Amino acid sequence: MSEELESNARGRRVSPALVVARREWVELLRDARWVALVGIVVALIVAALAVGIVERSRQTRERAAAAEGDRRVWTAQGPKNPHSAAHFGQYAFKPIGLLAIADPGVDAYAGSAVYLEAHKQNEDRFRSARDLGSMSRLARLSFAFVLQIVLPLIAVILGHSAYSGERERGTLPLALGLGADPRALFLGKALAGASVLLGLLAIATAVLCLGIAIFLPEVELEADFFARLAGLVPAYAIYILGFFGLALAVSAAARGTRTAFVSLLVFWMLNGFVAPRVAGDIASRLQPLPTGQAFRDGIAEAKRAQFGHDEKHPAFVAFRNRVLAEYGVDRVEDLPVSFRGLSLREDDHAGYRIFDEQFGRLRDLVARQDRLRSWAGFAFPLLALQPISTAMAGTDNAHHHEFIRSAELHRRRIQDAASAELMEHGGVDGRAYVAPASLWEAIPSFSPTFPDARLAWRGRSLDFLRLGGWSACCWLAAWAATIRPRAA
Amino acid sequence: MLEAIGLTKIYAGRTPALAGLDLAVPPGEVFCLLGPNGAGKTTTVNLFLDFIRPTSGKALVGGVESRLDPRAARRKLAYIPENVMLHGRLTGLENLEYFAALASGFRTGRDELASLLRKAGLPDEAIHRRVSTYSKGMRQKVGVAVALAKRAQALLLDEPTSGLDPLSANEFAGLIDELRREGMAILMVTHDLFLAHRCGDRVGIMIEGRMVHVLEPARTDHLGLERAYLEASRKGRVA
Repeated sequence: MSEELESNARGRRVSPALVVARREWVELLRDARWVALVGIVVALIVAALAVGIVERSRQTRERAAAAEGDRRVWTAQGPKNPHSAAHFGQYAFKPIGLLAIADPGVDAYAGSAVYLEAHKQNEDRFRSARDLGSMSRLARLSFAFVLQIVLPLIAVILGHSAYSGERERGTLPLALGLGADPRALFLGKALAGASVLLGLLAIATAVLCLGIAIFLPEVELEADFFARLAGLVPAYAIYILGFFGLALAVSAAARGTRTAFVSLLVFWMLNGFVAPRVAGDIASRLQPLPTGQAFRDGIAEAKRAQFGHDEKHPAFVAFRNRVLAEYGVDRVEDLPVSFRGLSLREDDHAGYRIFDEQFGRLRDLVARQDRLRSWAGFAFPLLALQPISTAMAGTDNAHHHEFIRSAELHRRRIQDAASAELMEHGGVDGRAYVAPASLWEAIPSFSPTFPDARLAWRGRSLDFLRLGGWSACCWLAAWAATIRPRAA
Repeated sequence: MLEAIGLTKIYAGRTPALAGLDLAVPPGEVFCLLGPNGAGKTTTVNLFLDFIRPTSGKALVGGVESRLDPRAARRKLAYIPENVMLHGRLTGLENLEYFAALASGFRTGRDELASLLRKAGLPDEAIHRRVSTYSKGMRQKVGVAVALAKRAQALLLDEPTSGLDPLSANEFAGLIDELRREGMAILMVTHDLFLAHRCGDRVGIMIEGRMVHVLEPARTDHLGLERAYLEASRKGRVA
């Protein structure tokens, strides 16, 4: 019989994969437990986002108030010696990215401000993690937590019985015995499960955008936000779908539903709770960071070669002789500029090189730790996803280092402005010079621009490769396990 | 339509589950396989379905070797296991619609499917009821309706009346008669001597993976069938 005649005789031709998918959807919709579970997940997403928005608003408000107060103190110094003002210092507060409401990343563990003062590049301070209780440190409810931990669990619950359950109930042998195409069964189940999970991700994304639009009206959703979202959403999609592929593979290969569920649950726990800690510990052992004291000692040791305020230091004497020779005079009193201003600037610039080297080394160590940690992302995808997620959210170490760098640049601008003022108006000694109060107004406050999405995307290709590779392996395994499924 | 040629299945380290079975079931014939547990009856069905692979020999469905092209072989088959398990959250009609579409690749009209369910003996009130509320007999009837909707040329039944009450078993036997009249080749595995005698055109008695007797119920009463079965079982046990 020709296909047309057969079609007329038997009805409309249908795609078996869609038939399977439709049946799965109908069964899910009629299962009150699933409806409740999806409702709980959506509620969790909304709650996590609310927490993120409230927390970001609070931090933004607090930092703005603190920065305003600090500025008032700075500008109210009155007439003062510029170098004293530089020692008096000011704070640089870290800007908060918009997507920090989704993934707080390292923000809670990294400082929110840097104290900018003369001669010293200080470490960041005010870590909000110090204010957290011990339970909060274990698992904080965040949008990223729901997507990284809860959604994979949903994928496991959704997929673990896809084959094993049908085999145990007897519907799989019946379908196969009737000549159902295993590829259609696989595609149908994959389509149904993937659509549920991607639907949840789409709801999460919509809730995120709506939450920002409604509760953060002062923020404009610009191209940078969407460039970050364009990395965030596909990464989570690959991650969650990989889990579902794995669940299908294990379900098809396992002897029974319980075995499949327990196996997947063990992997879920390893991935979500054990691997990040173990990988972090291994990275710390292989690339240990210096202790705070050792770091400060290293800087102090390097600075011993500098003269600072010590006018008997050989380096100071050598500098003075060089300046005198350059200007062709015999005494500092004959110099056309303030020697004190010159010497302070010289000392500051020598310090910059030391800070660049020491902080640069620290930054490289942290970056190496991050890279080491994400290597295991081939086996435990959360380790590949987290660097992408925090980078896109602007809460990774790279963004933090960018803040530290821009704060230090601002500090140097203050130092250079103070030294320039001294050089120009300070006279020979400069200690007695009192600059007018208007000078402090002229030195701008720290107003950083949040790094653009290029910083987020830089170096992320390996993480995407690891995540995509893991997900592809899961789906290949699922295909291999289901192409000739065990009927009994 | 159904043919086994030297069909053998040996599980690793065990005695043969099936040893050189030769069997042919032409269209319009019901062949019943009787035998004690472990005689190889279900193994035979599973080999026709390619749920397991033969150690040697062939299982052919309409000339297609199951092992070489399982999907082509299964397309000609319908299979009703001991306990037809359906999707509990779907109605009988939805289950039939699902399995029929999956088996044939065509969507059949709901009216036509409902009439098939009625033909299989499912009460009208049950057609739109969720299958989770069905008795075993009702589920078996949906299984028969699937075979009808699929227009299968051959039917494999694995102890289809096990656990059914006498009335339901009798109704089921009537359905088998009807399917035979429609030209379906039927291979039925059963422990039920009465059912085998009533439905079978031929009855094969299997002991330890071998077909030891083939009887024609038309030429013997069910007591004769019982005697042959018990004798073969005793011999098998002594051996």
